[in-house]
Amino acid sequence: MGTSRNVERRTILKAAGASATALGLAATTGCGGDGGASADGTVTIRYAWWGGEPRAIAIKKTIALFEKKNPKIKVKPEFTDYEAFWEKFQTQASGGNPPDVFQNAVGFLRKYDKRGVLMDLKSQADAGNLNLGAFRNGVLANGQVDGKQVGIPVGANTMSLVVDLKAFQKAGVTPEFGWTWDDYFAALQKIQDRVKIAGDTGYFAIMYLYDLYLRQNGKAFFTESGLGFTEADLTRWWEDGYKRVKAGLVADPKKIEQVKPKSGLSAGLAASEFTWDNFSIRYEGEGDSDYGLAPIPTTDGKHTGQYLGSLMLSAFSGSKHPEEAARFIDFMVHDPEVGEIMGYDRGILATTEQYDAFTPTDKTNKGVRAYEEKVAAEGVLGKITPHPSGADVVEAAFLRIGGEVAQGRTKPADAAKTLFGEAKAAFAG
Amino acid sequence: MTLVKEAPARPAGKRPAAPAAGRRGRRRENLAGYLFMSPWIAGFLLLTAGPMIASLYYAFTSYNLFTPPRWVGLDNFTTMFQDPRWQRSVEVTLKYVVVATPLKLLLALGVALLLAQSRRGQGLYRAAFYLPSLIGASVSVGFVWRALFSDDAIVDRAQRVLGVDVGGWIGNPDYVLYALVALSVWQFGAPMVIFLAGLKQVPRELYEAAEVDGAGALRRFWNITLPMISPVLFFNVLLESIHAFQVFGSAYVVSNTSCGPADATLVYTCYLYQKGFKEAQMGFASAMAWTLVVAVALVTAVLFWSQKKWVHYEEAAK
Repeated sequence: MGTSRNVERRTILKAAGASATALGLAATTGCGGDGGASADGTVTIRYAWWGGEPRAIAIKKTIALFEKKNPKIKVKPEFTDYEAFWEKFQTQASGGNPPDVFQNAVGFLRKYDKRGVLMDLKSQADAGNLNLGAFRNGVLANGQVDGKQVGIPVGANTMSLVVDLKAFQKAGVTPEFGWTWDDYFAALQKIQDRVKIAGDTGYFAIMYLYDLYLRQNGKAFFTESGLGFTEADLTRWWEDGYKRVKAGLVADPKKIEQVKPKSGLSAGLAASEFTWDNFSIRYEGEGDSDYGLAPIPTTDGKHTGQYLGSLMLSAFSGSKHPEEAARFIDFMVHDPEVGEIMGYDRGILATTEQYDAFTPTDKTNKGVRAYEEKVAAEGVLGKITPHPSGADVVEAAFLRIGGEVAQGRTKPADAAKTLFGEAKAAFAG
Repeated sequence: MTLVKEAPARPAGKRPAAPAAGRRGRRRENLAGYLFMSPWIAGFLLLTAGPMIASLYYAFTSYNLFTPPRWVGLDNFTTMFQDPRWQRSVEVTLKYVVVATPLKLLLALGVALLLAQSRRGQGLYRAAFYLPSLIGASVSVGFVWRALFSDDAIVDRAQRVLGVDVGGWIGNPDYVLYALVALSVWQFGAPMVIFLAGLKQVPRELYEAAEVDGAGALRRFWNITLPMISPVLFFNVLLESIHAFQVFGSAYVVSNTSCGPADATLVYTCYLYQKGFKEAQMGFASAMAWTLVVAVALVTAVLFWSQKKWVHYEEAAK
């Protein structure tokens, strides 16, 4: 500190200045997410979604289109994968700083409605900022909770069986509408015998498939406030599943685990996988075979238990720009050009304007359209299962505990008991 | 330890003339010091101390981040101790600590002994062995590990050559934890460097005297090296076990964020993370965090108590 041991006033001032600058910097970066209106009246809203790279590219194009037509509104995109999205969203929402507009799914509606995060978009519709008409097949109801419109569907999707066409052909199996679970498992056996691979990637840990099975039998996975089945039901479902893992009809979970995040179907470990029909596009990109959509097996030879689900757009109840948020959502679900850009990435387009504007030209999108038209024509579509608050946590637990059953680490009866325990805590939370 | 040196004494005859002015100067000096430190102090209070105190309070509440915390007394702790997944996470973590820490230290000490001998290019060797410690905590290494320990990858092929056929470790609940242990052991560089420093401080003449007396290499190691570096060994055991209790990143990445399969890599912090940030049970997660703090403090206390029996602080080492 030089020759003088006395500290000069200047030094103190400098230190104070440096500290203040550092704190000031921290403060400005801390408030970066504010997004208020600027001097020229331009408003910035934040829009967040989850999904892969193709979705991000498409959405950014639609944002550019919106900004061109609405020069006073700027849209700031934020995106991650599904799991990270909800972790981040939960933290942001609890801090009162969620995005103004965000992608949503039916499993999260009640949870965030209960926590006061979701805007009732009816008021914005009444104010003329958002058109609630022109939705196909009644999917608008998917975004309603207790009479409030908390989500606006962007698409409609339904569960399907994605199959490796080459493997099915080699085994001589042709899935048809109305085929039963017995037919399905007999098909898996044929595939094992003739193609020497497992038939399925692990059907019994997929909550939305078990929901369909329950609906075929007059039940459903969820009721308005809890689980719609018994421990004994689930024990039997998982016992059967584990038996099929041991028999080799369902792929070895150790191998499925190792190829993640790739699917066991596209890795060639199994010949089929149950998933939402709009996800079918991933397999073409990931795998070497040809893939197609097959019907859900039934219990009675007719009813698949299916319904139309939806990804939707929601707005934050505390948004500083509710009008702009509503107009943005309106544009995203009704504008024909947006429909053309997005395609069936988030399901068959939800509104007639967008549905008519997009004609699929590639095999996968054509397949999705044909599949949903066929399902609708069969007259098997029912009303969507309710999703109480905590449904998202239960879905994750179902997948995890089902995985333990598959690995042979937990007896089905104990596993069912664990799921019921965790579900109880999730509904209470 | 002997590494800490006394601050050099102030040169004589340079004391300030008047004591009063000196006191004022000292106060100014302190003020300047605190001002320079203030960004750090503010950060510590706002980002570390504050949240810690808050989490101590949350540990006794039910708190879902949205509704205000509700006081529940010891409920979180009683639920936690009965929770099978919590018990599982404790089991997994203890197994990891007990297996990974000694293996890592053994390897670090072994390599340090080799590198302590002077030879050509020793700087290069030291750098090479230290390198994994620098990159080990990264996410990309986690991905590489996933690839190394999957079916038909190098580990699987090597074990098949040896006649062991268990397949890849990543998907196997019985083996996947050892992939994490291997990752930890591979990062032995940091304790190795500390061991090296310790070895360099053992006085040559002790070895020479022992050699004259006819002691073999093993005996010299056991009776001279080990006691002389025991303070360094103690330091490493302490640091590495505390570190191992807090393992998170490798488990999270190697398991593709699930801490599975079948909860096989559900280390304590991973369960804490799931409870806090996936299920929004912040009260429960806080209770878990403070239980870990107490557990690590207890382990540290036991280690400190045990050092009386095996750690030698030689006066001669000065």
